[in-house]
Amino acid sequence: MLFTLPSLALIGSLLLLPIGQTVYHSFTTWDGITTRWVGASTYSHLFNRPEFTQVLENNALLVLAIPVAILFPLSVAFLINSKIPGWRFFRSVFFLPTAVSWVVIGFIAVRFFADDGILQHLLRGVGLGSLHPNMLSHERTALVAVMITFVWSMFGTNLIIFLAGMSTIDQELYDAAKVDGAGSFTVMLKITIPLLRRFIQFTFIVTLITAFTALFSLIFVMTRGGPGYGTTTLEFFIYEQGFSTGDFGLASTAGVILFIAVAAVSLLQVRLLRTED
Amino acid sequence: MSTSATAERLRQMSWRHVGSRVATYLVLALITMVMLYPFYYMSFNGFRSLDQYYAGHGFSLTSWRNLFKTLPVARQLLNSTIITLSAIALILVASTTAGYAFAVLRYRFSRLVFLVVIAAMMVPIQSIIAPEFVNLANIGFINHRYGAILVYAALGAPFATFLMTVYFRRIPEDVIEAALIDGVGYGGVFLKIMLPLALPAMFAIAVLQFIQVWDDLLVGLLFLQSPDVRPITVGLATIPSQHLLDVPQLMAGSVISALPAIVVYLIFQRSLISGLTMGISK
Repeated sequence: MLFTLPSLALIGSLLLLPIGQTVYHSFTTWDGITTRWVGASTYSHLFNRPEFTQVLENNALLVLAIPVAILFPLSVAFLINSKIPGWRFFRSVFFLPTAVSWVVIGFIAVRFFADDGILQHLLRGVGLGSLHPNMLSHERTALVAVMITFVWSMFGTNLIIFLAGMSTIDQELYDAAKVDGAGSFTVMLKITIPLLRRFIQFTFIVTLITAFTALFSLIFVMTRGGPGYGTTTLEFFIYEQGFSTGDFGLASTAGVILFIAVAAVSLLQVRLLRTED
Repeated sequence: MSTSATAERLRQMSWRHVGSRVATYLVLALITMVMLYPFYYMSFNGFRSLDQYYAGHGFSLTSWRNLFKTLPVARQLLNSTIITLSAIALILVASTTAGYAFAVLRYRFSRLVFLVVIAAMMVPIQSIIAPEFVNLANIGFINHRYGAILVYAALGAPFATFLMTVYFRRIPEDVIEAALIDGVGYGGVFLKIMLPLALPAMFAIAVLQFIQVWDDLLVGLLFLQSPDVRPITVGLATIPSQHLLDVPQLMAGSVISALPAIVVYLIFQRSLISGLTMGISK
């Protein structure tokens, strides 16, 4: 019992106590000092705000980036896993962005997508200068720019997980398939992907939770949630309500919704793991 | 006749083989460029003055000098180091002790407590940010490094505890029983047997947390408000807005803030990979 004390003290006082407070304060108006009990109507107020609909929509759109963030590294993992000479080098290079803060990545991404930025120069270089995309200055395209940057950043992490998964597959299975005359595409479809199912589910959940709870730095540096509410996701909305507007009550209400979303996704993961045992 | 046909087929196959190899390397080379371009971009432009940046050639240290005038760089690097290492130390203490208790001691209700710790993994920092801020402000922990250290430690502890529990469970029971018969006691078993065996897992947790804490923005942004207590990543993200158009200065700042985490990554890549994948492979 004594051995669990440090862990419990940290987690209890700094995670569990505040999540309880968040739930309580989600039913109140709260500016950090005075609290007034309102009841469940705080939730209907939140959902009636037009900008909150857009916030939820932004989160829904983020989900669309997840298949891309999985399929890209998955297909590259197939290329590297054939153990071609130099695969270790490629693995190290592709994994490198994992070490870099989204603050730094965000600053460079701004230069990439900005007006007169790298993307426009690249397009001009290949004769597509007339496209002239100015992605950060429109609501929808700004969100797409954030999503592209997010996919770029997750590439290495997901690649590593798939490579780890592939290394657990018995080489004999591949040899047997080859003897049976199966082409490499058939092998991928019939052997590798089914055996990787657990790893694909895992990256799906991790990427989804990352998209919902860890894009703050990227959004803060790239767009500050704008233009308008174009890139304000739920987590950024909580920050803005709490620390720009000073409405801690509303921040708590939105905080409960984010918590429910994350918990639902995590429980799904537990469920999936359990059905396989 | 048939042998020459076979030879012909073999030749075609090996050409196809070479062809697919070349295609593979072309794809990998392209991705390498896409992945490395930001590093190239920030390293080159960080060593240009604003004029040289617009001209696209020439190198100087002007932007580095400007950066050191804009931000207390040395001070913020020190803050980052202190905060990151202290958080890692707390996480290691909490996760090894709790992991040992859950995996080996297994007291009454320990299974329930374990589930509570696991459940804490689902709490996103944004959800608790308002009460966390008020609580820490009430005890005077805002704008002091130890406030941020505690928050980072709490955020890292659940996953680390989970990993340590899984790791300790793999250690065969007879090793522990033999030591108990020798009379070292449960505390001795922990210090003399379990901790040395757990070094690789502790290392993986440390590297994972180093990158997580060093690279974070939100906690430092809210709980540390004056530039002289802020870590470098937060300092860079909140650089006064008149410098935001000074791209070479931003890139110099990006280089200096990213470099320590990149170095840790390059040295301890293997530990990081095992930390990321330990959770899935059971």
